[in-house]
Amino acid sequence: MSLLGFCQWLEKTPWSIALHESLWVYPIVESVHVLTLCWFLGLAVMVDLRLVGLALRRVPVSQVAGQLGPWMVAGFAVMAASGALLFYAIPVRTYLNIFFRIKVGMLALAGVNAWVFQKTVYRRVAKWDLDAAPPRGARLAAWVSLALWVCIVVAGRMIAYNWFDPPGVH
Amino acid sequence: MRSRILVACFLLTVATTAAWAHHAFAAEFDATKPVRLQGTVTRMEWINPHAWIHIDVKKPDGKVEKWMVEGGTPNTLLRRGFTKHSVNYGTAIIVDGYQAKDGSNKANGRDLTLSDGRKLFMGSSGTGAPRDGRDPIEPKR
Repeated sequence: MSLLGFCQWLEKTPWSIALHESLWVYPIVESVHVLTLCWFLGLAVMVDLRLVGLALRRVPVSQVAGQLGPWMVAGFAVMAASGALLFYAIPVRTYLNIFFRIKVGMLALAGVNAWVFQKTVYRRVAKWDLDAAPPRGARLAAWVSLALWVCIVVAGRMIAYNWFDPPGVH
Repeated sequence: MRSRILVACFLLTVATTAAWAHHAFAAEFDATKPVRLQGTVTRMEWINPHAWIHIDVKKPDGKVEKWMVEGGTPNTLLRRGFTKHSVNYGTAIIVDGYQAKDGSNKANGRDLTLSDGRKLFMGSSGTGAPRDGRDPIEPKR
């Protein structure tokens, strides 16, 4: 089954129909998605700003990452779950939407960026924990993260517009 | 002083957010391109965040044009007396609305008229579509 075929099947499932026809649940899920985006991204920006050496410069990096990390994960989890529900409500049109594809690509890159950071430069954090300006690798990872998240949020917002939707698809 | 500015910013944000829909009318539709589409319904998509009515419009030369007409959310439509089954496959309707800026056969629906003369409003006003006072629910200027 192709991805498009899968989306077409998904769209016909009773819960997908209930979700996209709902009077209140869909707008509530949308709101939860935006609220948890603020929650997660607000914290991620602070961690990134610490890593580039612009904010919380006197707080050890491991403290910033360690204390905010669990809250970031919690925000991300609800954001991802609500995002999945929004996709589940309107699978075919979303799958075909160019901005959604850009967003998913950027999300994957942001994930790879965070993973590489964790596995490389952050392994040696004890050596630069107190540096006001962390090493180049950490700064680079943080700038990449900030840039990617700007693109992710903008692309996400653009999914609403149907400028490039194929004919017959709303 | 500072807190007053903060309150003003907050109120402004709330006010503008309330005026937003999923996307603004002006981003996709052209208020200077009103269209009147007479045709039969081929599909009613009763969906968030915008409902869509698909219609076949018969041109004077006999050719059939496929159009898609956007409405408000199911919630918005329901408040205007519109239900999922107000229009079905084959229902003859006349839609008044505004064409998409890109010139495609998409329109933002303002209202539709059924063959018995009944009018249903599609909830486009309030998202930046021109207001003409015909929709009794739309806020007065």
